[in-house]
Amino acid sequence: MRRWIIGCVVVVTMVLVLSALAGAQKKVSILWMEYDGLTPDYALNLEKAFEEANPGVDLEIISTPWNLGHDRLISLLAGKEPPDLAVIGTRWLLELLDMDVVEPIEKWVSKDLLNNIDPALMEGKVKGVLYGLPVAAGTRLMYYRSDIIDKAPETFEEMLTIAQKINKPEEKFYAVGMAGKKYVELTEHAYYLFGNGGYYFEMLPDGSYGKCRVNDEAGVGALTFMNDLVNKYKVTQPGVTAYTRDEVQDLFVAGNLGIFLSGGFTAALLEQRGVTFKWDVAPMPHFEGKPQSTLIVTDSIVLFKTSDAKEEAGKFLDFFYSDPWRIQFDKMVGFPPVTKSLANDPFFQKPVYKVMIEQIPNAKGWPLIPEWPECNDIIWDNIVATFLGEKDPKTAMDDAAREIDALRGM
Amino acid sequence: MQKGKFWKTESGLAFFFLLPACVFLLLFMFYPIVYVILMSFFKVNKLGDLVSFSGLANFRFMFDRPEFWQIIVRSCVWTASAVAVKTGIGLVIALLLNVDFRGRKVARSLVIIPWASSVPISAMIWQWTYNNDFGLLNHTLRTLRIFGEPPIWLAEPRPAFFANLWVDIWCGIPFMALVFLAGLQAIPQELYEAAEVDGATPFAKFRFVTLPLLSSVLTVATLLSILWTFNDFNVIYVLTGGGPGTSTDILITYIYKYAFQYLRFGPAAAMAVITFVILLTVSILYARSYFKGGGVY
Repeated sequence: MRRWIIGCVVVVTMVLVLSALAGAQKKVSILWMEYDGLTPDYALNLEKAFEEANPGVDLEIISTPWNLGHDRLISLLAGKEPPDLAVIGTRWLLELLDMDVVEPIEKWVSKDLLNNIDPALMEGKVKGVLYGLPVAAGTRLMYYRSDIIDKAPETFEEMLTIAQKINKPEEKFYAVGMAGKKYVELTEHAYYLFGNGGYYFEMLPDGSYGKCRVNDEAGVGALTFMNDLVNKYKVTQPGVTAYTRDEVQDLFVAGNLGIFLSGGFTAALLEQRGVTFKWDVAPMPHFEGKPQSTLIVTDSIVLFKTSDAKEEAGKFLDFFYSDPWRIQFDKMVGFPPVTKSLANDPFFQKPVYKVMIEQIPNAKGWPLIPEWPECNDIIWDNIVATFLGEKDPKTAMDDAAREIDALRGM
Repeated sequence: MQKGKFWKTESGLAFFFLLPACVFLLLFMFYPIVYVILMSFFKVNKLGDLVSFSGLANFRFMFDRPEFWQIIVRSCVWTASAVAVKTGIGLVIALLLNVDFRGRKVARSLVIIPWASSVPISAMIWQWTYNNDFGLLNHTLRTLRIFGEPPIWLAEPRPAFFANLWVDIWCGIPFMALVFLAGLQAIPQELYEAAEVDGATPFAKFRFVTLPLLSSVLTVATLLSILWTFNDFNVIYVLTGGGPGTSTDILITYIYKYAFQYLRFGPAAAMAVITFVILLTVSILYARSYFKGGGVY
């Protein structure tokens, strides 16, 4: 009997000690976006390796599709249950700063890490304070079927001429892919708008954003051209308003498209899927007489003020930005490296990375305004109305500009 | 009664057992409802905290938007059509399953499948089915030459609306069929025998025996269906996300957009209150008609 009692006491004590040890572990959670090409194994291995290297830390990687990332983060913030870290589109940063939830990140990561990141990519720096480290940054470019198209078009006018030649809808082969269903951002429209010398807002001398200018000549011209591709020349896949960017990408991967405008992740995906057709990349086309320009998108990792494991979160960032993990990540997501130590790696000397890097000087980013998600939707809705023939491009862009200015109190 | 004795009586015990459920309801049902009502009359920050009283400003903001009224009308059309079709088809299926035939048990199990599967998963499967290039539906329609060129279901407002509507109907039919079947089985067989003796035709039996005795079940089932259909977020969110444009948005998806995409919790709360009022009115009208008719048979 006595032995039993002693046995029970030992077991209970061990359970209590183990629970206390488990409780002593600091938990770090990160809202992790599922980039195209990034396998779930990567996150699992990263989690395991980090925990092995840091036995006192319990890392939880919460994976979420990019398309749902913003809403999920907002739900967590509104529910007062934010993660410690989150991957965000850098254009959401002002919205988060407006909510006063983001912690300056500089003091939580090592100097080595900060020195290893190209300062030009530090888009997460607002008024001199660094709030986010760049996770991925890349310009958008043109993918084309090099087995069908001899020379990549330099202008959108050339692209249209080629498109009219190669379009074979009866064989389910469409010349140009076009996404008309809302996705994370208005990327499709930005390519044509920036290639026509346009932008979303007037830039004021102090660097702030003025009135919406999507209804100027460049904006209306860009939408008119997009609408012509869809409805006049019919060189896009039919029913563009049913396709998100991912679904258009699937069409290209399946061999049903001749030209597709996208980011570096498409190259990674094409390689992973081992497509049998020949493809190549080229700089984003522009309109005749207008300078070449494309969209540059950066994503960042931010730390939240409410985190009670900031130090451990910083340790995780140091770990994640170390070469062995970053090179795997960069290869999978298809963006050029954000760390200087990987810039000269032979893998990143491929044409797709060269094109992305060459385009940087003339590239434009998303507007950094807190109301951008709603502005984005307003412009989307008006583009869709144009594709559906409910509005002409001028009226659509006038309506969008009016509504956006009213929303921003201008 | 002596002090403290109440809790030893049977009623006291019943109250005691009900207490946890009441606390649960207060915490998880009434608190959010009251908070949403408060939010609708306040300026709310991006984290959902109340900032200052704003009266009816949130309601005025929504009422001034033309698309809000379109969405109210669309929500009503969506609910009325979906519930009517679900009721009609559900009733027909229930009548068929009430007939004794070989394989009836298998048929009953098959009918439950759409209801047993998760709605978002069903909606995703339908999204693939509707795909113009690779989807089963248009492939079948083209092969059978039913349409010269079938519509691209999710690309244009009207087909997209009907595509969403059908998925909601498809998911909702099993519930209606099973509830009606339970109601049909509760009708005494003697009434049909008496009607037969009186020379009633099958239609007359349906009209004068089945329908009246099924009316209370019909009332409850359609009321539940109205509440669920009006608030059906999953199907539209997965299939079209309210698009093209806002052409398939109903109130519930519009509330989501305002709350979680635009972080405008005040107008979103105002719309939630409007939804609550609409559904409460419908429920009260239904309850009145239900109790006027004598309730459950």
